[in-house]
Amino acid sequence: MNAASADEGVDGTQAGSPTTMVLTEDEALELLAYLVTAARTQLDEAAEYGPLRLLTAAQRLAGYITPRVSPETRALLEGPIQHVPQTATRSADPDGYAASLDTVCRVLAEHLVARYGIDRGAR
Amino acid sequence: MSRDALEVIRTRRTVRAMTSEPVPRDQLERILDAAAHAPSAGNRRLQRFVVIDDAATLRVLRMVSPGMLQRPAAAVVICVDVARAMEYGFSATSSGLFIDVGTAAQTILLAAHALDLGSGPVTSFSKAAVSAVLNLPARWSPEMIVCLGHAAATQPSPVGPHRRRTWRDLTHWGRLDSNANTAASS
Repeated sequence: MNAASADEGVDGTQAGSPTTMVLTEDEALELLAYLVTAARTQLDEAAEYGPLRLLTAAQRLAGYITPRVSPETRALLEGPIQHVPQTATRSADPDGYAASLDTVCRVLAEHLVARYGIDRGAR
Repeated sequence: MSRDALEVIRTRRTVRAMTSEPVPRDQLERILDAAAHAPSAGNRRLQRFVVIDDAATLRVLRMVSPGMLQRPAAAVVICVDVARAMEYGFSATSSGLFIDVGTAAQTILLAAHALDLGSGPVTSFSKAAVSAVLNLPARWSPEMIVCLGHAAATQPSPVGPHRRRTWRDLTHWGRLDSNANTAASS
């Protein structure tokens, strides 16, 4: 997988940006296996585990790429994304859980806005 | 047990973070001996245990087990011998088969705790993938994985509602009256 750029082409390659491997094959396989098997297990387990599994996947991805990303992205990965406990579920605190996910989404969006410069005018 | 049984029951917790310290073979064997003494309907013993304690297989097992947050030093995969169960007249989905998985699992969890080991049950895994990873015979169905290892100093918070329910919260004494029925269904 390659580091992102605002100038991503249709084939996913970067225009005018150095490409950097951010996942090893083993890391990518581990994440892929997690996602595929989680899709199956979700058919049988409590629906509230869905967000939990997705967040765990996001946290594992964050753990893999943190050493190899920009300082700004690193701050995001080491911050709010890791702050939602791996064992948190909606039933314990429905409003608080939604609020914590909203916080993560908001901070993520703010990072994307800054990274891709869309706060500096329309392209 | 080397500790008071009720104390072991009351102090057991699911361990979701483990160190890389291995679990000695003799401790695994003591745990499995305990599991063989778990209650089993009709004393049929339809559960089979597959022990994994090599790092490579554990790593792959974890890859296909989304519920396995910990990195265990060993794991016991509790399987049901479905073909043998059907020979007794059970259907493959008979609840009794899974109740016996539960009694075996709880016995393993308590035995591990009595030996000062951490443990954690995992049911969120792909049965198809685990069967392939472990090369299980088609007649065996993996139903639960019990992770074993030494507890790390820091643990994730428990899953779900954090209020501990007492036995009084969970128990009705005697026949339920109408009010209790209404409360129970709400």
